[in-house]
This record gives sequence, C-alpha cells and structure tokens, in this order.
Amino acid sequence: MAIRIDSAPRLLLHGVGGLSQRAAAASVQPLRGVVGAAAEAGVELERRAVDRLIESRELERVLTSARVQTAAAQVLESEGARRLVDAFFDSGLFEQFVHRLLDSEALWELVDRIADSPAVTAAIAGQGLGFADQVGEEMRGRSRTADAWLERTAARFIHRAPKPPPSTEPETSPG
Amino acid sequence: MGLVTRAVAMVIDAALITLVATIVGVGVALVLALIHPPQKLDALIAAIGGGVYILWTAGYFVTFWAGTGQTPGMRVMQIRVLTARGERVRPGRGIVRCVGLVLSALPLFAGFAPIPFDSRRRGFQDHLAHTVVVEAPQLSVAAARRAQRRADYNPSRRLPPPAPG
Repeated sequence: MAIRIDSAPRLLLHGVGGLSQRAAAASVQPLRGVVGAAAEAGVELERRAVDRLIESRELERVLTSARVQTAAAQVLESEGARRLVDAFFDSGLFEQFVHRLLDSEALWELVDRIADSPAVTAAIAGQGLGFADQVGEEMRGRSRTADAWLERTAARFIHRAPKPPPSTEPETSPG
Repeated sequence: MGLVTRAVAMVIDAALITLVATIVGVGVALVLALIHPPQKLDALIAAIGGGVYILWTAGYFVTFWAGTGQTPGMRVMQIRVLTARGERVRPGRGIVRCVGLVLSALPLFAGFAPIPFDSRRRGFQDHLAHTVVVEAPQLSVAAARRAQRRADYNPSRRLPPPAPG
C-alpha cells in the first residue's frame, strides 16, 4: 500500500490528536467516577430523606397543621378557584372528555368486564338473596309467634304447662 | 316445630310442586294437541298423568327428606325432619312419612291436629314414621364447623347435620 508524501503530516497530526484525547480521557476518568458516586450518593440521600419524612409522619403533621389547612381552605374558597372551575366547565373540556369517554370502545369493554366479574355477579346475587332472606325472616318470625300463641291456647285447653321453645336437637328417647 | 310454621312450609312446597306440574302438564298437552291421539286413549293418558303426578309429589318429599332432611319450603322456614333419634331420614322411612302425610290430610287435615298438643310437636305422620321436625337455623360455614367441633368433642351430644349456606 503506497503512502502519499503530502499525507504524512496529516497522519502525524491525527496520531498526536488521538494521543491527546486519550490523555484527556484518562485524566478525566477519576473525576467522572467521583461525580457519578456523588450523584448516586445524592439520590440515595434524597431517597433516605423522603423515607424518613414519611416514616416520621412529619408530612402528615405539616398537612394537618392549622396553617396549611387554613391556606388550603382560603385557596378553595377564593374567587380565583371558583373562576377556575367555571372556566373549566365553560371551556367545554368536560363535555368533550365525557363524549370521548362514551365513544371509546375501551370504556364499554371495561364495563362489560366489570359486569361479568365474579365480584359483581356475587354482589347482585347476594342482593337478591338478601331480599329473599328478609322476606323469609319476616315469615319465620310471624309463623313462630303464631305457633307460640297456638300452643299456649292448646296448653290452656288441656290444662297443661306450655311447651318449651323448640330446640335444634330431638330428644334421644325414641318416639 | 309448630303447626303454623309447618303449614307455611307445606304451602311453599305445594306451590312449587303445582308450578312444576302445571308447566309440564301444559307442555305435554301442547304436544298431544299436535299429534291428536285417538279419543279412546284419553282415559289412559289421564291415568298416566295422574300416576306421574302422584309419583312426582311423593318423589319430591321423599327425595328431599332423605337427601337433606329439608324440602325447599322447610328450608325457607328453617325446619328439618329427623328420626326420633336425631338421625337422617332414610328413603323407606320417608315413604312411610309421605303415606302418613296423605292419611293425615284426608280426614280434613285431622292428622295434623295433635301437633299443638303433643310434647314433641308430632303429627300423625310423625307418629307413624317415628320422626320429629326440629329447628334448623341456617349456619354460616364457620358456625357449622364450630358446632361440629363441639359435637365431636362431646359425643353424647348429637347434632343434626348443619344446613348448607
């Protein structure tokens, strides 16, 4: 392979440039490691700080503090907040949102899935059974009262003490 | 259990039996209307229908008494039929009780009259089949298990089988 005479200085320059780049990279390498470690430490520190904040219930204390509550109430009761809500509804954004939602196939698929879900069918069945139970309970209560009255009358008729209330267990002696 | 509770249970059972018999009867009548059987077979068809109805009614009671001790009507009223010793009614005893039920009803339901007076609330059919009708509250699964554990712990205390549900 023939090397042209005029390309020799360029090759030399290229070689020197590469050498200087490598030297610069090598000199910056420790710095990059330090910066990376510092960033990781910073993230870790932030995570710990958030964890400590949550664990210490400080956030809860701040949010439930009277000053924050008053400020939040002032913001919500302010004329600006009302205008913001009015502007939101006047803009037609809400109607558009609802129309888009109703047009979406995914919504109706979701509704179908929820309607077919075992939890919902069980809840509906439970509601039906609950009504039947209620009717049955009412009927049982009235029939038991009528039984008691009838048996009291029968006991008076034959001059005998009224029977004890019925048990779930039969007597062991054969009838 | 008392006369009124048992009468209500019987009314529910009678309604169910009649409903099913009516639906089946209408279905059979529609089919017969299509095939136009000869008139001389009318008596035979009526006899078969009557026989099937009696079998259906007896089968309904015997199957439920021998199966769970409760017909659907008894389930609603939370009562159960057991032998006098607290055991489950077997089909043979169920048939005897069913015959007793018919015999009790024939003389203007006089067979049920002893129930308010008897110390164990037994009617004629119970005397005939040596059965008793007891309370059967619907227990939750947990309550049924607790009752079963208590019964296992104290074998002298015999419990009727818990009602499912």
